[in-house]
Amino acid sequence: MSLRLMSRSVLYFVLAVLAASLLGSVIQSQFNLAQIAALGAEVPPALWWSTTLEDMVGFGPLYAAMMAVALLPALLVAALVCRWLPPGEALRLTVFAAAGAVGIFAAFQLANMAAPMPTLIAATRGLGGTLAMMLSGALGGWVFARLHSLDQRLPQHTPA
Amino acid sequence: MTRFFQIVRSHFWSGFTLSGCALLFSAAAHAADYRVETVAEGLSHPWSLAFLPDGRMLVTERTGTLRLIEADGQLRETPVSGVPEAFVSGQAGLKDVVLAPDFEDSREVFISYACGTRRANATCLARGQWQDDALAQVEVVFRASPDKTGDAHYGARLAFLPDDTLVLTLGDGFDYREAAQDPGSHIGKTVRLHRDGSVPEDNPFVGHEGVLPEVYTLGHRNPQAIVYDSEGERLLAHEHGPRGGDEINLLEPGKNYGWPLVTHGKDYTGARITPFESLPGFEPPLLDWTPSIAPAGMTLYRGKLFPQWEGQLLVAALAGMRVHRVVLERDGARDVEQLFGELNERFRDVRTGPDGAVYLLTDSPQGRVLRVMPAIER
Repeated sequence: MSLRLMSRSVLYFVLAVLAASLLGSVIQSQFNLAQIAALGAEVPPALWWSTTLEDMVGFGPLYAAMMAVALLPALLVAALVCRWLPPGEALRLTVFAAAGAVGIFAAFQLANMAAPMPTLIAATRGLGGTLAMMLSGALGGWVFARLHSLDQRLPQHTPA
Repeated sequence: MTRFFQIVRSHFWSGFTLSGCALLFSAAAHAADYRVETVAEGLSHPWSLAFLPDGRMLVTERTGTLRLIEADGQLRETPVSGVPEAFVSGQAGLKDVVLAPDFEDSREVFISYACGTRRANATCLARGQWQDDALAQVEVVFRASPDKTGDAHYGARLAFLPDDTLVLTLGDGFDYREAAQDPGSHIGKTVRLHRDGSVPEDNPFVGHEGVLPEVYTLGHRNPQAIVYDSEGERLLAHEHGPRGGDEINLLEPGKNYGWPLVTHGKDYTGARITPFESLPGFEPPLLDWTPSIAPAGMTLYRGKLFPQWEGQLLVAALAGMRVHRVVLERDGARDVEQLFGELNERFRDVRTGPDGAVYLLTDSPQGRVLRVMPAIER
């Protein structure tokens, strides 16, 4: 792997983690706030969104670290799997997205085994929340693969 | 692999309360006017302590056994027999031990514990007869409903009221926090019972459709101490908050203490549990600890050895590794001093002994019972 490709991969990985953790933070906030609203509390829209933004700062960093740990092996596996598959952008994006979703699911399970509480991230206590949070991992995988695809389509600069 | 996860789990809470510890270390050093002596040692995560009238003590070990300490401090090697089998895992295990107010006549002992299995467990309350240094005729008088999975947040502290009923605290099981607001569930409540587990007719929700008749107060997370102040005629409890939001509450029948709708704490992940720190209809705490101290047992000191502490609360802290002295005021409470930090121990319980000394339980696999006496004999 060339230095250029490696540095670009690192950049795309960071962008993928950023996108995935932001989406995950937003999703978990919606689940938590929906639970509070279901208990009968009126949550005005402004408070709803300010809480969502606050979670990006409060919850986002921990989730980004978790996402990075989850995506690193997941994307490597996805890249290996793609070598054995027929070429095709849609299939490649699907494999990377699926790898991201499975990777973050595995991270949830490992975190719950390590942490003293039954479920570390409250939004993943139920099936719906877990699936929704897996979307964030899928986004991470998709962003990484898509950025690489776009990169390869750009005209390559060669010295005269 | 399992050992790896056990190590990670054991260090998890202390990591999240590190900021709280830093705050405490900055507190002014206490000018020691007490001395601390070890009464017994080698106890496995001692959880609660009861004083028998003959000078001996009963100590529960979270790992499922009840131990007897002789009046001279010798720990009897063989555990007390007859104790109900507890579900032991994580925070689950044997919990509180309380003697009936008329113990000398009735010989009744009450034990709270986690019962069931990992997949289906609850907080249970059993009653037994103290006979020949053993528990006999043990019967389960209450089991919280519904069952839950996991091994966290049982509450399980017990206090008698002057009318001979008892109040038992029940935790939210961690994953079931919304159930603390469900009046049809015991999770996240306190319940008031007769000694045989039956429901007192004057419980606040008797006859209310959809509300379990045992419910006394609602909206609790993990109430880890409850004491009745006979002079002030009030029931005080504290509860373990999440990341911040540890509370001391004045419990009144039928009132709602807000969890998880209102709290000063955040989730351990840093996420907001709720956007509300207060709402109409929910009781505010007398005292809030943010950041957390991880409060455990509590005593309302009434004794002759420490007159300067008379009528004040002493609150054991696990992660905080102190005992907090709290002064009760007209409309609140004030944390005025942190004690025993020089011992460098996690404190699981604090009790006032019949001799006026303060007794401490340290939380460790080699836990101790400590007695705090004035530095100079009074």
